[in-house]
Parts: sequence; structure tokens; C-alpha cells
Amino acid sequence: MTDRKPVYLMTPALAWLTAFMVVPCLLILALAFFRRGIYGGIVYEFTLSNIALVFDPLYARIFLKSAGIAGLAATIAVVIGYAAAYAIASMPRKRQPILLFFAVLPFWSNYLVRTYAWIVLLNREGLIVSLARAVGFEGELPQMLYTETAVVIGLVYNYLPFVILACYAPLSRLNPEIHEASRDLGASEWTTFRRVTLPMTVPGIATGFVFVFVLSIGNFVTPALLGGGQFQMIGNLIYDQFLTANDWPFGAALSMFLIAIMMGLLTLQTFASEKASGQQRAEVCDD
Amino acid sequence: MTSTLLSLANIEKRFGELRAVNGVSLDIRENEFFALLGASGSGKTTLLRMLAGFDMPSSGHILLDGHDISQVPPNHRPVNLMFQSYALFPHMTVAQNIAYGLEMEKLPRTEINERVDEMLSTIQLTHLAERKPEQLSGGQRQRVALGRALVKRPRLLLLDEPLGALDKKLRGEMQLELKHIQNKFGITFIVVTHDQEEALVMADRIAILKDGELLQCGSPHEIYEYPVNRFAADFIGVMNFLPARVDAGALCTANGSRISASLPADLKPGDNALAAVRPERLRLGAADADNCLNGRISAMAYHGLDLHLHLETPVSPHPLMVRLTADVAEGHPFAVGEEVSVGWSARDTRVFTA
Amino acid sequence: MTNRGSLRLMLLILSATFAFLYIPISVLFALSFNASGLPTAWTGFSTHWYAELMANSDIIGAALNTLIVAVVSTLSATLLGTLLAIGVEIRRRKGRLLETVIFAPMIIPDIVLAIALLSFFSMLDFRMGLHTIIISHTVFNLAFVCAVVRARLKSFDWSIVEASTDLGATTPVTLRRVILPVLTPAVVAGALLAFTLSIDEFIIAYFTAGSGRDSITLPMQIFSMIRFGVTPEINALAVLVMTLSVVALAISQRLNRGRLPGQ
Repeated sequence: MTDRKPVYLMTPALAWLTAFMVVPCLLILALAFFRRGIYGGIVYEFTLSNIALVFDPLYARIFLKSAGIAGLAATIAVVIGYAAAYAIASMPRKRQPILLFFAVLPFWSNYLVRTYAWIVLLNREGLIVSLARAVGFEGELPQMLYTETAVVIGLVYNYLPFVILACYAPLSRLNPEIHEASRDLGASEWTTFRRVTLPMTVPGIATGFVFVFVLSIGNFVTPALLGGGQFQMIGNLIYDQFLTANDWPFGAALSMFLIAIMMGLLTLQTFASEKASGQQRAEVCDD
Repeated sequence: MTSTLLSLANIEKRFGELRAVNGVSLDIRENEFFALLGASGSGKTTLLRMLAGFDMPSSGHILLDGHDISQVPPNHRPVNLMFQSYALFPHMTVAQNIAYGLEMEKLPRTEINERVDEMLSTIQLTHLAERKPEQLSGGQRQRVALGRALVKRPRLLLLDEPLGALDKKLRGEMQLELKHIQNKFGITFIVVTHDQEEALVMADRIAILKDGELLQCGSPHEIYEYPVNRFAADFIGVMNFLPARVDAGALCTANGSRISASLPADLKPGDNALAAVRPERLRLGAADADNCLNGRISAMAYHGLDLHLHLETPVSPHPLMVRLTADVAEGHPFAVGEEVSVGWSARDTRVFTA
Repeated sequence: MTNRGSLRLMLLILSATFAFLYIPISVLFALSFNASGLPTAWTGFSTHWYAELMANSDIIGAALNTLIVAVVSTLSATLLGTLLAIGVEIRRRKGRLLETVIFAPMIIPDIVLAIALLSFFSMLDFRMGLHTIIISHTVFNLAFVCAVVRARLKSFDWSIVEASTDLGATTPVTLRRVILPVLTPAVVAGALLAFTLSIDEFIIAYFTAGSGRDSITLPMQIFSMIRFGVTPEINALAVLVMTLSVVALAISQRLNRGRLPGQ
């Protein structure tokens, strides 16, 4: 095959991606360096003030806050997701696909609907309160909806299937003989898990963590619905710059920052995966 | 006289309806190189996994040094396994792989380092100690797997198809090296293999398994020269079978010619039987031999060291295999279609129930 | 797992996980058939709220918009994504930039793509509406279709293409008679996945819909219903939306030989 034909096949899609993804993203990048007009709008004059504003204590605090929430959600999701993936991988081989299918199924239903389900559960007149009353609990129940806890629960709930999928992949690829080799050499089940299984499946954990973290920190639906607008994540901040505050250059700078965090984490994750699988540039040396 | 290290007493393993291992009893001696030989599905791997502790026998006992270990978990047995896939830990270096089993014994660091270094030099991988398994060749990985198991100084080392992943040339070298290492360490080796040649070359004794049952156990010479039945004869090496009928203390072939051989006691006149003779026992033009047959060359295969002739004979539907050494073959330019006669002695003839 | 104790632990973990995943969804199902529509008490089975839903012209309008967006963006994404996948896989030489551009729409945070497209359209003075949502959805949809088709092409025996050429077929004929028939299940699976993503997509649609009432999609409608006054109809709507995407995904998974998208 010559190279001519494939280019011709790829052209329409690449043109589309260039026009409606690459160019808009470059535009955002450029926008981050322009000045905001007094009444909104953009003044085409180079400035670094938007970038500087990202590091302003007021916004830095929001960043740290949302990074904290995203980090907590990602950690919880990884712990639950890894345990679930490990459990699925330890079931009989032919049952695993169906278990995995049902673990991931909720991920493909509507995000808003899944978030709304937690409003129904956590509401002041919601199911959990009703159940507590039904079993005779009389005291004052703490506010559950519109709290940070609610946001973290919502994020974990929504992204858990993804983490299960990410952790299952390396777990299912493990050669069962590796596990047996460790037992054979005198290690207990727990030692085998700690010294062999866990280090070999770090890539899945890293992938799961990075995605939950990035999707959470840039989220604005969950904080808006379950957080009740009590506090802001970077996603909400960006949303506001574009739809209410009308400071597009600052919104663009925030987006670039978000992308930078994501790329940084993805690079770290790639590094972690390579280290775990022992794939440094393999130079096989012959006998 | 060497003493018995391992005793298998009437081992049985059932998976649901399937009897993977069916009443196997074996004694394996101290310092022995033992081979479990069988085709896939013969139960040899199941037997090995029971010895390592990954499966428990459904009934029967495994005695190591007189103690029943059949219910002891794998991490508490003085038995180690070299896995078929080698099962090296990909995230650890060669040295870390070898140290792993010693760390499990909670030995002091200095002793671990000493023993790892010693093992690295034995398997000649000192210069690659810091490599990851991915950066090694097949032969090197095999040596790491061997070293990792050996360094624990087990009472018994199990090897699951140890040479299966290597190419033919390397396999030959490693057969000798394994024997050498076994000798040096004085540890009992049990090798599981489907390769009869490998078993013949390496093992002191061989057990042939078929359908979960022990068919025959003995030295390579016994196994090759005195197979107990037709299956064992066919499984090891190449064997010519000639259908015949027992007739007054001798065998009579379909075309009436007689084959002289010593008959097993359980064959009565009138019974169907099979006379068997190895291709290398057949001699060309030996008219004075105990047994003699005429045939026509239907095919020839040149192997360098020797020449194989396929003879069409009136006594068997299958061609008779004749193996001539290079010096014999050299003196005679054979051609397909040529008529030849072959002979062999009664001493080299085995007789089996058909 | 060898011992019984750890098997029990694994089953416990699985039950707890599935309970966590499915209880909230099941509650919505139950609630949508509850006559009172409130989680506080069960007042009897009723399909009343589904009837209400059908009578709500805002919701019907939004549903139609969603359908238009999903169908059109799926069709265009399937065409573009399939050709892209074939092109990339034929060309064995892999470019890093090319891979990044193809992969980016799947991992870029929605909010970033949303504001980028919003800025782009508004700076070009492009009138926004359903068509801009369709254009935007096509961006990520084509990336997902491409990924599904490429996964199939990884195990594709390219020698059948050479065989077809050897037997005298031109490239378009080979494409039509050999490559596409083999790829059909993957293409349909990719299309169904794209359809699922599109009917559920909220953020990008929200930013690129413009301000008109007539370009509101179902997820946008659901968002405003949740935010500004929950009515019990929303439970019924949630159940319908969820069922639709799960059915599409199940068919997609069947066609894709049991492989889940993203696996």
C-alpha cells in the first residue's frame, strides 16, 4: 500500500477535528493572553494578567479546595474500584465478562440522572431520612445534601465504573503462574498481594486515579447539583467566566491550567506504568 | 543404597466427573533425576501441581521424608516449582527475583545477598543481576527461574516442561546443564515433559502416564527396550508393529511366514498378537537372522546421520521402518521401488496382546 | 483464590459494590411508578407520571431535538470515524501528533471543549443552534467510532486485502466488498456507542446551543428541571433516558463481541 490512499481516507475526519477541535483549542490558548474589556468582550492586547490571576490567593484557594475534593473522590474511587476489580478477577473466568459488564453499565447511563438519584437519596425528605424515621430514629439528622460529602459521594458514584474497568485490565492480564510462583517461594496470600500483584497493577490504579481526578476537578454539574452552589470547583469557575461573569480571557487561562494539570498527571501515569511493567527500553541481550 | 524421599500412595484427583489422576503410586529416591512423561491430558501436570501444593489430592497421600504433606499449603512446603512460563516477576530485577524466596524465609540480609550472589554465579548471570526479565533472552530467563527456585535449597525441585520454550539447539545444551546442576546441588529433580527424547536424555528414571494412570516406571533403558504394552512401545521412539496370530509357541503372520520370539505367558494359541521391532534392529540382507522379511522400498528419508527406508511388506498394512546408519547407507545406492530383504533376531522382538 | 475465607470476602466486596452502584438507580425506577411520586411513602403503582411526561410539550420538544442531534451526529461521525480508522490502520507508520489529535476528543475535559467551541463559534459570529451542537458532538463521536473500529482492525488480516487486489479488484471495490463487510459489526457498535454518548451529552450541548428555546436538548431540560424545581415527572424521564442508553449500549456490546467500549 502506498501512503496516498490512507491520507485520502483520513482527510475528512482530520479536517473536521482540525476545524472544530484543534483551532478552537488554540483559540482558547490565545485568548488566555488577551485583556478583558471593561464591559466584557475581548481587547486584543497582550497581557499575562490572566495567568497571574490564576495564582491569586482567592483563586488559588478554590484550586486547592477543588483539588482536595477531587483527590479525595479519586482515592475513595480507586480503593473501592480496585477491590471490586480484584474480586471480579478472582471469580471463575467465564463469569468475569458478565460481572464486568454490569459493573460498567451505569457508566453509560445519563450522568445527570445518576447524580439526580443521589438528590433523591440524600434530600431532607429523601429516602435515607425516611428510612431513618421508619426505624424509629427521632433525633436531628445532619444535613446531607448540599455538602462536600454529597459532592464526593456523587463523584465516586459516577466514576467508579471507570476505575473498575481500568483496574480490571491489568489484573486480568496477570499470569496466574506469577501468583503461584510467589506462593511457591514461600509468600503468604497477603505478602503475594503486597509484593507482586499490587506493584504489577499500578498502571491500572494510576489510570483510574488520574481520570477521576481530572474529571472531578473540571466538573461543574456535580458541585452545582449536589453541592447546591455552596462552593466552587475549577469547572464552576470556568463556567462562571463564560456564562455569567463574562471574563472569557480569565476563563481561557483557567482552562489552560486544567489541561496543564491533566497533561502533567498523564505523564506521571505513563511513567508509573512503564516502571511497573519493567519496560525500560528493553535491550535484549543474547546468550 | 539411596533412600526414598517422596512416596505417592494411591493418589487420585477428580475434577467433577473427570478423573485427572487415578490411583498413582510411586517412590522417588533421594538425589534422583525423575521424569514424568505423558501426552497432554495424561494427568502429569495435575500430579505436579499436587506435589507443589496448588491442588489437593481427592484421596491418597503424598509423603515427603515420611511426613504427609498432601494438605500443606504451597508456601510451607520444602518443595519448589520452576514454572513452564517461568513466572518471573516482571517488576523486579534478576537479583530481586532470586532474593524473593529467601526474603520469605526472613533470613538476614547479609545471608540473602551472599546466597543470591552465589546463585548468580552458578547460573552465570552475575553481569545481568540488575536487568529486568523483559531485557533477557529466553535461555537467560530460564536460568533465572531455575536459580530462583534452587536458591531456596528445596528438598525437591519440580520442573514443568523446563525446556519447552527454548529452541532446539539451546534445548540440547540445557538438558546437559540441568543434569550438571542437579548433580552439583544434590537435589531431587522431578521434570514434567511431553518430550520423550528429553526424558530419555536427562532422567535416571521415567514414569509414563496415560489417562491419569501410571503405565510404566523404570530406567530409560528399561522403558525403551522393554515397554510393558503396545501403548508404551508406541509412545517412546519409533516401533514397527506386525499383526500376527499365536500358533503353537510361535507367531504366524497374515501371509503365513513365522516370527520367532519369546511369547508372554498370557498369550494362548489362536490369540491375536503384535510382534514389535525397533527400526534400528533391522538389518539389510541378513538371510541368516532368526526372522526375515522381503519388501519393496516405497520412500526414503535422509537425515544426515542415518537413512530411513519405508518398506512395503505383505505382512502389514503399514510400511516397515528401517533405520540404516550412515556407513551402511553409504555403501549401497538405494532407489525407490527396489526389492530388499531385512532380518532381525528373536531377542530384539517384543510381543504384545493386540 | 485457594481458600474459602477469601472467596467469601470477594463475594462480599462484589455484593457491596453492586449494591452501591444499583440501589440509587433502582430507587428511581421504583419512584417513577409510585402514585404519589415522593420517596417518603409508597402509595401504589401507577404509570401516571409517564402519561404526564407525554403531555409535557417542553419535554417532547427537547426529546425530539436530542434525537435529531444524536442521529445526525452519529451518522456523520460514523462515516468520518470509520474512514479515519481504516486510513490510520493501513498506514502502518504511526505519527505521534496524529495519535494525539485522534485521542484528544476522548480525554479532553468536556468543559474545555465546550468553552473552546463556544468561543470559536461566537468569534466567527456563527449563529448557534441545533446545528452547532451537531457539529460539536461529531467531534467526540468520531473519535469514539474510530477507536472501536480500530480495535477491530487490530485483529484484521490485511492479507485478504492483498488477496482482493491480487484477484484484480481496485481499491474502492476492495473497500466495499472486502473491508467494509468485515468491519460492519464494529462500525454498528461504534455508531450505537456514539448515539448513546450523544443523547446523554450535556455540557458541550449546553455551551453550544445558543440562547434560543428551540435548541434545548433533553439533558439540558433535565438539568434545569433538577435545578429549578423537581417535579415527579423527572423520575419517569430519568428511567426512560437510562433505559434507552443502556439498550443501545447492550446491542453495541453484543456486536462488538463482548468487548466493552474503552476496554
